[in-house]
Amino acid sequence: MNARRSPSGRWLANEEYRWALLWLGGLALLWIWNTLYLNPPALAQLEQAFVNTLIGAAAVVVMTLLLGWSVGTGLYFLESRGRRMVSLGLTFALNLLRSVPQMVGILAGYIILTILIQREVLQSPALQVLWMAFTVTAFTFLELADVIRERIDFYRRSDFFDAMLCCGIRESRIVNIEILWKNSVAHVLQKLIAVFGMAIFLQCSIDFIISVGLSREVSLSNFPVTLGGLLATLDSKQDILAISTFFTNPAYLLRLATTHLQGISVAFAIVFTLLCVYKVSNGIVRRYRL
Amino acid sequence: MKGTLHTHLLSILVVAGAFALILAATGGGTDPEAEARRRLVAPFLELEFFDAGDPLHRALLKETLRLYYPSSEEKIDSLLQAIDAYRQEQFVSETEKTGAEALGWTSRKVARLIPMYLQFTVIYGIVLLLTLYGAQTLGTYRFILDRRGTPPLLRAYWRRVAAALPTRNLLRIAAAVFGNLPLLGLALLKGFAYAILFAPAYVIAYSLKTRFDTDSYLFMIVLGVVSNGMVITYANKFYLYLIHESRKGYVETAIVKNLARTFQWGVPGGIPRRAVFRIRKHFGGHVLQHIYENARFQYIPALKEQATFLVTGLIIIEMALNIQGHFCYEMLQNILRTDYTVVAGMLLAIFVLVKATDILVDLWYEREARRYGHPELDQ
Repeated sequence: MNARRSPSGRWLANEEYRWALLWLGGLALLWIWNTLYLNPPALAQLEQAFVNTLIGAAAVVVMTLLLGWSVGTGLYFLESRGRRMVSLGLTFALNLLRSVPQMVGILAGYIILTILIQREVLQSPALQVLWMAFTVTAFTFLELADVIRERIDFYRRSDFFDAMLCCGIRESRIVNIEILWKNSVAHVLQKLIAVFGMAIFLQCSIDFIISVGLSREVSLSNFPVTLGGLLATLDSKQDILAISTFFTNPAYLLRLATTHLQGISVAFAIVFTLLCVYKVSNGIVRRYRL
Repeated sequence: MKGTLHTHLLSILVVAGAFALILAATGGGTDPEAEARRRLVAPFLELEFFDAGDPLHRALLKETLRLYYPSSEEKIDSLLQAIDAYRQEQFVSETEKTGAEALGWTSRKVARLIPMYLQFTVIYGIVLLLTLYGAQTLGTYRFILDRRGTPPLLRAYWRRVAAALPTRNLLRIAAAVFGNLPLLGLALLKGFAYAILFAPAYVIAYSLKTRFDTDSYLFMIVLGVVSNGMVITYANKFYLYLIHESRKGYVETAIVKNLARTFQWGVPGGIPRRAVFRIRKHFGGHVLQHIYENARFQYIPALKEQATFLVTGLIIIEMALNIQGHFCYEMLQNILRTDYTVVAGMLLAIFVLVKATDILVDLWYEREARRYGHPELDQ
């Protein structure tokens, strides 16, 4: 079947590519629609919020990769080098972190960020986005660390590992290159995509909470605007509230799509992105039979 | 099991200790200078006949103090200044202006927060059980559809229309296009369901706010289950466990031993549809029974992760919707008032809830492992 397909057809036969393309297409359509009907300042704000959210989520992915990889392999090497107490201590600390609900930890991170902004320690918006990303990373990197440990343990039990050791290959090379890079990249990639979705969800939620909380201490007016923060503005909230009119008056749909565009666009961007990320991640699971 | 229990208890102790340490370092959110000033002026302000706002009373106080402490003019001045500062502080204080409670733990606050915490615990328990049921049911349903080779609805619609196209008979094409519209309707419905399942709770709640009572417990429970990607994420996880189990060798052995293997609904040797929706799912005589039981066993530890994510979801719901009288809403208010002593206590209470779930899950896992004689217990 595949042999008769064109290269693009074969490419699109993969669920993850299809959904990635659908995501880009959907967002492009949304942008075109917004250029037609949304006023320019609101559109600029929406674009900025979307870019900030994506940058934040991408930063979370990069930090998760670095931290998850380091912790996962670090734990393995601590155990293999007989540092049992250090390894137990680290595992205990990580399990402790795992038990803290993400939202609670992230909220604490945001309070610290506000204090840093107020004391003029962290003034650059780029650094603020990085801090926000780091706060989210602290509660997502464990998932990757678990996957990495799992993969190392899986190969450690096989002959492959001992055979490579007998060939004189360094343990660190076997773990980092042979096991993780050459044989687990699909697992790591799938987890990172899931983390990307989780980061968007958490960031939008925390920004929304802080904004509707009418906080003086933790105020989003100090932070770079993200989709969650934009959704919490009065205009967007009114747009979202207007959705319920559609249930009693379906003809209202056109008005929703033209006059209540800011809130609807933000909500659509969040939900559609989460759905597509889920589908892409699922596609990888199916294709590589993870 | 004892070791695991000790680890959980140690975690609670460590977190409680960490909070205590942070509070001690930050002075529990109270200003030490203001506290010292309050202690200094409190005895004078408690005098019934003394009105600190009356200039005559203040002058009389000053004269009286001079009489008793003639050589402490500076101390007397600083005491009067402290009284002024204290009164000024009370005048601008948010607590005094709004009639809000004093910072820190008070018995009134504890009495108010305990029922909220219990209510949060009950809602958490109900949502956790419903999500567990939803994840297992949806995961199993999807697995069965997968095994049956059911194509996605849109693809099924397109296939039927495409099959009519080569006939070049307009009537047949129109019949295929319009006759299969229910499939399109179902696809739309599925898309709508996906949108709800992936939407953050606040998007759904605000969309329905003008039509429903979004502050009710029922709405909160429903929202906790369906929104924030909660049920869909864990249904997918359960589905992956089913897939993983179905690839194992014992499935082939079970088929060789003549267990039913068809995944058609309701046919002899197939699966009764209602069995999927039962709380205690049983697919007697079918290979799915073994796949399901093993997947269910594998899924138990994932409940801990589900519980942590659920708490996140409930916090989002209570905080984002500003539902007054709820535990997390109170926590947000205390964060905003910088009452970190209370916030720390509330966070610890949530942490204890998550840890209690972890302990229960470990106990359940151990019980199930003993039932199946799982080798992990011997390690």
